[in-house]
Amino acid sequence: MGSEAEVALPSRRIRVARSVLVAVGVLGLGLGAYVLVDSVALRRLPGLALWIAGAIVLHDAVISPLVFGLGVLTRRAGHRVAGSVVVTVQATIVLGSLMTLIVLPAIAAQRQGPRNPTVLPLDYAANLGLFWLILAVACAAVSLWFYLRTRRANQRPSRIQS
Amino acid sequence: MRRLMYEARAQLASPVRNPRMATVIGRLLGLAFLLCFGTGLYSHFLQEPLSWMVFPTRPAGLYQLTQGTHIVAGIACFPLLLAKLYVVFPQLFVYPPVTSFAQFLERASIALFVGASLVEITIGLLNTYQWYPFPFPFRQVHFALSFVIIGSLLVHIGVKLPLISAHWRAERTAGPPEQLRAGPTQEGLPRTRGLTGRILSYIDATPTVPARTSRRGFLATVTLGVATVVGLTAGQTFTPLDALNAFGPRKKGVGQQGVPVNRSSAQAKVATAAMATDWVLTVASGDTERSFSRAELAALPQTDVDLPIACVEGWSQMASWRGVRLRDLIDEAGGSPDSDLRLISLEQRGGFRQTEMGREYVRDPLTLVALELNGETLDLEHGYPARMIAPGRPGVLQTKWLSRIEAIDA
Repeated sequence: MGSEAEVALPSRRIRVARSVLVAVGVLGLGLGAYVLVDSVALRRLPGLALWIAGAIVLHDAVISPLVFGLGVLTRRAGHRVAGSVVVTVQATIVLGSLMTLIVLPAIAAQRQGPRNPTVLPLDYAANLGLFWLILAVACAAVSLWFYLRTRRANQRPSRIQS
Repeated sequence: MRRLMYEARAQLASPVRNPRMATVIGRLLGLAFLLCFGTGLYSHFLQEPLSWMVFPTRPAGLYQLTQGTHIVAGIACFPLLLAKLYVVFPQLFVYPPVTSFAQFLERASIALFVGASLVEITIGLLNTYQWYPFPFPFRQVHFALSFVIIGSLLVHIGVKLPLISAHWRAERTAGPPEQLRAGPTQEGLPRTRGLTGRILSYIDATPTVPARTSRRGFLATVTLGVATVVGLTAGQTFTPLDALNAFGPRKKGVGQQGVPVNRSSAQAKVATAAMATDWVLTVASGDTERSFSRAELAALPQTDVDLPIACVEGWSQMASWRGVRLRDLIDEAGGSPDSDLRLISLEQRGGFRQTEMGREYVRDPLTLVALELNGETLDLEHGYPARMIAPGRPGVLQTKWLSRIEAIDA
């Protein structure tokens, strides 16, 4: 908060709301810490800390750079096609990866053997494959639609495009 | 270092990475977190009530709704949290990293917020798969982290409040300033040489997508992401989505007598005791104690009810039950329907071997000691010889393989 002179000072109402939020938030943090220490054996806490740190590293150092690289690569590869098609392809990859991220642990747990036959009863691997297939077909259809629309718009002789 | 940080921020500049988008996605994520927190607390206190607490028994599917919402909102957090982190990613490269102690605390609280949130939704998801590859207990950590998350969320909102209130509504002037913001910002920065420089100039040469297309595409992707993860899993509890349930950990109708099972008789090690011919259900109230064989229970007036089994893991299944009304049974045994009960299962161990039931459920005419399920004798996996079924309670409290019911003296 070194440059407060440049930024307009928050109004009094905002400053009060801010103090209340921060104070209640700190209380919540304290309660969480207390509940944690109170209910979880101390020797389990390093494992938890490792998981929290690991989650940050996994996201910031692996997932984010991958997504960034993917964005650059798809834009590079698609530099001659309309932006809407590039975005459609990006959305397809993101949706497929998201579902994969959520379903992979289910497949892993299923491989380990569920605790009873009514847990994880579906064929998740096959469904995931089918999902990617449907996604690819939908992506192709939407891209084609965008492509035709752009071409039609470009062929129209003298309309001012905004 | 300083140059690298500037470069990184410039590269990451994108039309969706702005405070307005952070506010839009942040609102949705905050809503999902609050839904999870509220429904989670409700579920927690149903299982571990404070002495003064009384719970509603209607609508009978209340817990089905709250816990279904908990899991649906939790899974929606995956696309929302990832989208929020995508929007604010350049903040990671703020230079200098720390300017003051207050700012250090703020950044530390955000790191904790992000890490705890990621762990919370991940272990929640894994719990619905009944898979526990982590080195700590699920229930306690999931509960404690929820306070850490809500606490750091409030701190975060407090710190960002001026920014949030400035961007709560869309800017009305959508013209020049936005284009300026979306334009290249790396001019005037010193160029890097070597491999890093080559990679950076490769990235620089990447064509950009028009800002409006990029923004709409991002919002469409987030919307579709939420719709997909919810739509393809929520059928495990919301019947209209059953046909779309391709990835839910449970499937409606899959299980003995058409009902899924959480804890099997093999896990609970009750088969021998439950199948024994001399099984009796003992009802104790004060000094009086009475035992009922299964034939004696079946000879009492029977009641039919339709009630869902709703599990803490987020699945639910409607079913038809037939058995003795609990309040009639207590009456028969000479007890009062106005006292709380302790329910004891044949299980030798397990967190829910012995549970308590508030008087509001004991009095309710829908609460049964069930002997039949969907027109057949109760399956062993569903609690044969007799189990409890009450409206609006989590599945773990619908005690299976009942052995003893005791009145708790006030």
